[in-house]
Amino acid sequence: MLHHLNKVAVIASHTNRSQFLYPTREPSPSSQDVDESRYQNIPRDGKYEHFAKVDDTVFKEVKQLITGQEEELHSDTLLAGSLAMALCYIHRLEKEAAAGEKLKPRVLVIKAADDSASQYMDFMNIIFTAQKQNIVIDACILDKESGLLQQACDITGGIYLKILQRTGLLQYLLWVFLPPVKTRSKLALPPAIHVDYRAACFCHRTLIDIGYVCSVCLSIFCTFSPICTTCHTAFKFRGPPMRAKKKKKITAVENVI
Amino acid sequence: MAAAEEETEKTYIWEGDYERTWEAIKEDESGSLQTVVDDIIHRAKRRRLLDRPANVRLGMMRHLFVVLDMSKSMEDQDLKPNRLASSVKLLEHFIEEYFDQNPISQIGVLTTCNKRAEKLTELGGNPKRHIAALQKCVDQPCSKEPSIQNSLELAATTLRHMPGHASREILIILGSLTTCDPGNIHETIKAMKDLNVRCSVIGLSADVRVCRKLCDETKGTYGVILDEHHFKELLLEHVTPPPATTNTESSLIRMGFPQHQIHTEKNKIEQPSMCMCHMDSKGSQGFSTSGYFCPQCRSKYCELPIECKACGLTLVSAPHLARSFHHLFPLDLFQEIQVVDLQDTDDRFCLACQAEFRDQTVYRCPRCEKLFCIECELFIHESLHTCPGCTSCRPKRTFTTFHQ
Repeated sequence: MLHHLNKVAVIASHTNRSQFLYPTREPSPSSQDVDESRYQNIPRDGKYEHFAKVDDTVFKEVKQLITGQEEELHSDTLLAGSLAMALCYIHRLEKEAAAGEKLKPRVLVIKAADDSASQYMDFMNIIFTAQKQNIVIDACILDKESGLLQQACDITGGIYLKILQRTGLLQYLLWVFLPPVKTRSKLALPPAIHVDYRAACFCHRTLIDIGYVCSVCLSIFCTFSPICTTCHTAFKFRGPPMRAKKKKKITAVENVI
Repeated sequence: MAAAEEETEKTYIWEGDYERTWEAIKEDESGSLQTVVDDIIHRAKRRRLLDRPANVRLGMMRHLFVVLDMSKSMEDQDLKPNRLASSVKLLEHFIEEYFDQNPISQIGVLTTCNKRAEKLTELGGNPKRHIAALQKCVDQPCSKEPSIQNSLELAATTLRHMPGHASREILIILGSLTTCDPGNIHETIKAMKDLNVRCSVIGLSADVRVCRKLCDETKGTYGVILDEHHFKELLLEHVTPPPATTNTESSLIRMGFPQHQIHTEKNKIEQPSMCMCHMDSKGSQGFSTSGYFCPQCRSKYCELPIECKACGLTLVSAPHLARSFHHLFPLDLFQEIQVVDLQDTDDRFCLACQAEFRDQTVYRCPRCEKLFCIECELFIHESLHTCPGCTSCRPKRTFTTFHQ
């Protein structure tokens, strides 16, 4: 609603799949189905046609998604897959845009589920790609805090907000996430939180201040061990450098004598 | 290592078979050549991705010296506005990309002119310093001849002291066809080989035998540019980590992971302090209450990654290491499939961008068996490095030993 040329796309991140809710896949214009559906969707209550289309499509697709398949549900969501699809879609729109037209894309993630620990690496790849393409990732968290999204928002320059009252969701969305990136500096928005960038060691999963990094595979350990558990390279054990210096001093003295 | 042996058998293009390039180009139905051109470009990109050997150990921590030729031949105007200005502009872009892909590595810049070599910037991890120094040297006059031997020896004096686990590299951008050296350059080449330094050269004029010998002996790459576009491509090839030589030691490097903190005393009053990186600067830059504190000696820094001046500990943050992960776990190449060969159960839409397939070839990921269009396939392999299909389904993947 901010600008008549703005476009929106909605992706659902289900436990086993990611799916575009809106826009739905468009068949080629040569098929006949398109003409018929156009006549069916004319709104009757005076609503802006575009909004009606978005509402109806999202409603229908969500209903289909939830009632459709009966698979086992997990408590974490495959967010990295949905973000990857979003980035590819943005890439396609940028290619299709007319020459000289610049898109200012951004991604809003509304999340209530846990993080999926196995997606750390994919997530980081996606965050760095978004940073390079100047895509801002915002996060609106309903239930549990998410370390990955905190890092994503910090690195790409977006806003991370945990909603305090769920009944006020619309107000949070309108106040914090709707304004475009350029006007955000002029608004009084919730302050940025402190992001913990400390690494977790691979052996105990504890956050560490000083650690040892394998030069081959970049895995982080909290204590020195002779073999890297990820890439199985054996490390040379280096003695403390003090001993070498003392030896040199002794030989120098001997030479003098 | 097998790839290196193949390179020595490569002959010059005119010695090979005659290539009938005009037969490769055909017009499509509407009479335009655009699709054929696009196709050729895509194939060239994919071939480059295929050439990179998989499962080869890479040198992740890199110490690279860039040697910029500032001799008389760099005033030649075959690259606009002149060779020196064009090289500096491309080098700035190269330095930014280099630090983007290798955040824990370092670069130093040397210049060679007037038969001598000079150090423009020391080895360091801050890209702005190098870029500022490069921009200043565009105005300096170019004179006489370069000296490859002097620049190699100057670089070696610093690289000699670098720890064994880091890769040592030199990249020479040479515009002249001669080099004026004080001694026997073959001895210097042998010394480079013994020091385990990988020397690569980008020539701006023509193939020079000494450069080719230098690169072959030290297992580097030698390229001669055709035009500015090709120059950029050759430079950007050096951004990705090279395969590690057998002499590179593997060791555990001690690193610190500081947090961004606000300095407070016991009674919780914020106290401003000066940071160590701007200690020598005359302005008030760096005087603030918050920053990164070294976990070993508590000295303050405003940016990472950096090496602590007081205690010598390398300070990084976890995303910096994460940036290099995609080199270590590269994405599998997708299989090419023609649209006509698709079965009825397959979609006619690309999974990632939801566009209908317009081209004749589509790509299938070997792990998740989903289909992608050409644009998404290029985007995935060049920038994204994760497959949207694989990340959207529950892992039957086998490479998650990393996180368990």
